[in-house]
Amino acid sequence: MLRFESVNRTYADGTRAIKDVSLHIKKGEFCVLLGPSGAGKSTLMNMVNGMVEPTNGHVYVGDLDLNRKNRVKIQRQIGMIHQQLHLVPRLSVLHNVLAGLLPDVNFWRSLIKAFSFKDQRRAFQLMQEVGLEEKHLKRRASDLSGGQQQRVAIARAFISNPEVVLADEPVASLDPSMSRSVLQSLKAAAQSHGATVICTLHQLEYALEFADRIVALREGEVFFDGHPSALDAATQDQLYDITSPAPESQEKVAA
Amino acid sequence: MNPSTDQSRPWQQWDLYRAITPKNLLLVFVLFTLLSISARNTEIDVAVVKTTKAFLSAIGIGESQVLDGAVRFAGKAFPLEIAQRTEVSRVEDFDPENLPLFAYVEFAESREYDVMTNSWSSETVEFLVEPVGYLTKVLKKMWETIEMGFWGTIISITISLPLGIVASRNYAPFKWVYSVARGILSFHRSMPELILALLLVLMFGFGPIAGVLALAIHTSGVLGKFFADEIENAPPGPQLALGSSGAGRLKVLYYAVVPHVLPAWIAYVQYIFERNIRTATVLGIVGAGGIGMELKGRWDLFDYSHVATILLIIFITVVLLEAVSQRIRKKMI
Ligand SMILES: Nc1ncnc2c1ncn2[C@@H]1O[C@H](COP(=O)(O)OP(=O)(O)OP(=O)(O)O)[C@@H](O)[C@H]1O
Ligand SMILES: [Mg+2]
Repeated sequence: MLRFESVNRTYADGTRAIKDVSLHIKKGEFCVLLGPSGAGKSTLMNMVNGMVEPTNGHVYVGDLDLNRKNRVKIQRQIGMIHQQLHLVPRLSVLHNVLAGLLPDVNFWRSLIKAFSFKDQRRAFQLMQEVGLEEKHLKRRASDLSGGQQQRVAIARAFISNPEVVLADEPVASLDPSMSRSVLQSLKAAAQSHGATVICTLHQLEYALEFADRIVALREGEVFFDGHPSALDAATQDQLYDITSPAPESQEKVAA
Repeated sequence: MNPSTDQSRPWQQWDLYRAITPKNLLLVFVLFTLLSISARNTEIDVAVVKTTKAFLSAIGIGESQVLDGAVRFAGKAFPLEIAQRTEVSRVEDFDPENLPLFAYVEFAESREYDVMTNSWSSETVEFLVEPVGYLTKVLKKMWETIEMGFWGTIISITISLPLGIVASRNYAPFKWVYSVARGILSFHRSMPELILALLLVLMFGFGPIAGVLALAIHTSGVLGKFFADEIENAPPGPQLALGSSGAGRLKVLYYAVVPHVLPAWIAYVQYIFERNIRTATVLGIVGAGGIGMELKGRWDLFDYSHVATILLIIFITVVLLEAVSQRIRKKMI
């Protein structure tokens, strides 16, 4: 479903965020991305919906090559929960969620915010599932707590029934029980609807509990890729232990 | 992040921030010199001396031409003229049995200048006096002025909203559209209302059309640039989020940018509206409608008591207007 073929990304300031990553993620797979801060998780994820372009290499979604021509077509199949959420602060919660449907709504309808009742009911259902209440509907997104905003972002990502869900730290500001239920619904989306999910997490225990597959990045390279049971304690320590030199750090100094 | 890179020095060796540097001092000095030269050019020094003298003279120290001028005007301006006096012979369909409300007839001397004999002749004639007639006339003219400001603003928004959108770097469909739109906006901005009004009076004749269009054209340049700049400065995150889900640019603009910029836009439109009304009061001086036409006529006839009435009405209107719009603003935020 998702393929990275020797993808590289160098930012304008020379940071090599992703170095020659090749991955193949199957349809319906729940793949958790792990890695220390700055490892390139967000960068890798943002390359799936075209927010970040690979410096070289290719990304395929389904059987489409992600290029300028296919971009919008691919983007319509993807729902994303951004790490910084990127809600529209002064827009109501309801319209923030419904904004996930904008690609499919007639322009003139969208101009007067006339979303169909069916779409609105779907938004209500999703909002309740992620733990938002009716009283939140008309509030501005900026008037919600951090965790509540995160739920709005989750509902927005799911409302278009995406084939691919990109979740960049979806549980960063949620309490443990909410985290678990959000991850469960991500997992359910993968299982029932056959959606492919990539999810970055900083909590190892959740990764081990929910993931079908764990991909760990370190300094822009794949450090581990496999079933959660294969991620042994030694590898875990090495992944987050920044004092031990990563295999490629010598190269970096030389470069 | 990685201590093995060569850039990471211990914190004791990090560069300190310095507020006062030779470069800054030189900058201040150059700035000060330029300011003094410019002040000389615009006679700021003379202005300071003359105003100081005026203030001193006001408390009884010395003489001041400036103060004398002000006193002369004030002497002629009071009492304010609020009645309208018209020679009965000039009133159409004058009917002494059926006078307008509160009006009365008065006998007074009318002086007339005879060009042939180069002398003044005077005769006693009947005047129709409407006690608040002039005030009513001024109020009507003031209302016309407000309407001019209103329609000037409406037309200005109609021009500047689409132009402003395509004049923002991130929403222009093509680079050249951006440049053309910015060019048009600068052009509109660069033409002062008074000059525009002069031109438009030549084209449309005397009256409010010229005034309204002059206001609309000039302020569309101001508003459009503001709209465009606000769009460009809107936070990119929400736009990226909606854009990367495949929504079209206009939808992204409407959902991720407009909610953010709307309060500022409304406040600015309000400001432009107030400003348009203030400007509309002077456009009449070149014949472009509004209260300024009356003001200019009276000024040229040295009717300073009439002028004072007009100025007072303008002042009251402006104050009221600002109070009202302050209220509206508070409600909307
Ligand atoms: N726009 C950018 N310009 C320059 N460098 C960037 C940019 N975005 C990210 N980087 C750099 O690229 C590297 C990878 O960043 P990325 O955001 O992908 O990390 P991450 O794994 O998501 O980290 P975190 O867990 O903190 O979210 C970092 O060193 C970061 O500083
Ligand atoms: Mg990240």
